Amino acid sequence: MVSRPSSTELSPTAISTKIVIAGGFGAGKTTFVRSISEIEPVTTEALMTEASQDFDDLAATPEKITTTVAMDFGRVSLDQELALYLFGTPGQDRFWFLWDDLIRGALGAVVLADPRRLADCFPAVEYFENVPEAPFIVALNCFDGILPFELDDVRAALAIGPEVPLLTCDARDTASAVYTLTELVRYAMNFAGPPALV
Amino acid sequence: MSRKILIVGAGQSGLQLAHGLLQHGYQVTLMSARTADEIRGGRVMSTQAMFDAALQHERDLGLNFWEDEGPHFDGLGFSLAGPDGSLALDWAGRLNAFAQSVDQRVKMAGWLEALEQRGGRVIIHGVTVSDLDRLVNRYDLTIVAAGKGELVQLFGRDPSHSPYAAPQRALSVVYVHGLGPRPERGDLATVNFNLVPGVGELFIMPALTTTGPCDILFFEGIPDGPLDRFTGIRSPEEHLRLTLELMERYVPWEYARAHNVELTDWGGTLAGRYAPVVRNPVGPLPSGGAVLGMADVVVANDPITGQGSNNAAKCAAIYLERILAHGDRPYDQAFMQEVFGHFWDYAQYPTTWTNAMLQPPPPHIVQVLGAAAGHQQIADRFANGFNDPRDFFSWFMDPGKAASYLESVVGAAV
Amino acid sequence: MKGTAMLRSSRVRPYAITGGRTIARMPLLLETLVSVPDYDLMVHQMLVAESRDIYALCRSVQSIAEISAALDMPLGVVRVLVSDLADDGRLRIHPTAVHAGVPEHMLLERVLRGLQTIKH
Repeated sequence: MVSRPSSTELSPTAISTKIVIAGGFGAGKTTFVRSISEIEPVTTEALMTEASQDFDDLAATPEKITTTVAMDFGRVSLDQELALYLFGTPGQDRFWFLWDDLIRGALGAVVLADPRRLADCFPAVEYFENVPEAPFIVALNCFDGILPFELDDVRAALAIGPEVPLLTCDARDTASAVYTLTELVRYAMNFAGPPALV
Repeated sequence: MSRKILIVGAGQSGLQLAHGLLQHGYQVTLMSARTADEIRGGRVMSTQAMFDAALQHERDLGLNFWEDEGPHFDGLGFSLAGPDGSLALDWAGRLNAFAQSVDQRVKMAGWLEALEQRGGRVIIHGVTVSDLDRLVNRYDLTIVAAGKGELVQLFGRDPSHSPYAAPQRALSVVYVHGLGPRPERGDLATVNFNLVPGVGELFIMPALTTTGPCDILFFEGIPDGPLDRFTGIRSPEEHLRLTLELMERYVPWEYARAHNVELTDWGGTLAGRYAPVVRNPVGPLPSGGAVLGMADVVVANDPITGQGSNNAAKCAAIYLERILAHGDRPYDQAFMQEVFGHFWDYAQYPTTWTNAMLQPPPPHIVQVLGAAAGHQQIADRFANGFNDPRDFFSWFMDPGKAASYLESVVGAAV
Repeated sequence: MKGTAMLRSSRVRPYAITGGRTIARMPLLLETLVSVPDYDLMVHQMLVAESRDIYALCRSVQSIAEISAALDMPLGVVRVLVSDLADDGRLRIHPTAVHAGVPEHMLLERVLRGLQTIKH
């Protein structure tokens, strides 16, 4: 968590923006948010229905068919008039409408990937490829600083285009997290946006 | 103090009901998971062919914004593929009044903006069970009209009215510009129903989309059959290419007019499948409240008969009428059951008919479809059944009644 | 193809009947900031429980997500209640950067500058 004296009280005329931190379960999203946020990451929860596999389960009660979905977020005041929020996506990636809510109005997204479990971030990559308005980059969260593959191999495995920035980071390290966000913002500056027809 | 009603879902039924209630002085809050612009710029959701009775409900509320824009269609063409792949049977019935398909991206986006402009409260939010649990007590009545969302799980399946446990067709939809006419139809604009026995159906209909008039190519493939090939296709171009390949193979008479087609836009394709289902209309919430389901939340039929948006419009009209008739009395669970009962009095007919159409046609239906080629009266009656499917139960759905009807027509013609 | 798509879009005017493109209310985003412009104890006492909690909390600037987390209130409920309070003039909804009319490149520059001031 970053200590920023006198910055947590926002001005009465402040505006806000956000960046989404996506990725599979355990990719380090909350760690990443914590290493930049000036507030302890907070959680908002929602109760969802749990899709029942058993069509004839008439005995199912709402208590039995629900599951809790949590979303972590943090905040950093970039200046007195501008708050940047960082939202981590919920672990269960089947609730896509929650992702739509997260990405609406976002500057872009960082897809965090654990190099040991690369496949876990496929749904996130696929999601952002289908939201052409939102620029995204992929950051490999290397806890031990060692990447067991060549970046080009990772790019091929994720099937992302050559224009999508791919980098390594350490989600626990503030400097590294800041650098990752900076790369996203630089990419967003040159981002062409969606073509009229794919 | 006017009564407060919360509607979850910004589709045909939710928005139509919201507009209706608002016009009668109710305080209406509608929650939509997407903004109007997101709906407009998103993916197509349906084929949404609507016949006159359903369109009339929109006219009644002043919601027929696109009626003059067209395109309309005035008939239903039927083509049957023979065992050798040739065109074995072809005819067209004339509708008593025109039908129209307005892309729901255009319609729902426009209706959502109009609702806010007319004084409705619109909240952009993907509603969860937690939300409903805490919101129901703030409203006199809460209605769930989001048939594609996860909230449908609140409503238990009614096995006595749900004969299928698995999807009966794999759906594929492509919106295109540049489709030519079917020369046999002359000046009659039609929705074309192509039946390829054992394989599936292809429907083609004119529509109005975000880029103007277009045509919709809609395959209903029997699961695991030759048309069930759209799962996992991600590029719209690939979706169109495969559609054309399958048209050339199975319905060459339709492919003949498809040489110059192009996609309307990147969101103009859709693929999926779902099991037809009827659900209980009352959705219980964890803390004891209850919500009322409507349209495809409670009656989700296969799109093979094109009744989805028609049922939604009719459901919204019936719910509006019952809510108005209920006056100041509380909207308790008995009321919810009663409202749904009124809808089911109608919906049982399109549901039974639609479920029957998913099966290979029995001999008496083969006979009807054959006789329609030689008797315009039969073709017309079949076409107009799509406007009000209850009529099918006086002839088409029953072997004995079908026989006596055919006899009366054929006998009279001799 | 891009050219034909643009050409076609001029053929249809879906909003003609509603009097041209309507200005929809800005959706309340998760990061949308909310504050009480003039805190009034009378108003506070008049409000019902959940709205009262939001009113009190928003004496300091809060985002929709923070309200939800702080009051353990589902996001949909927060959005409905904030919407109601704002309509009655009790709350001020701050524009988010995308709705404030800040040109995108200027916003991104500003975010970049802000990120560079974060002390490690």
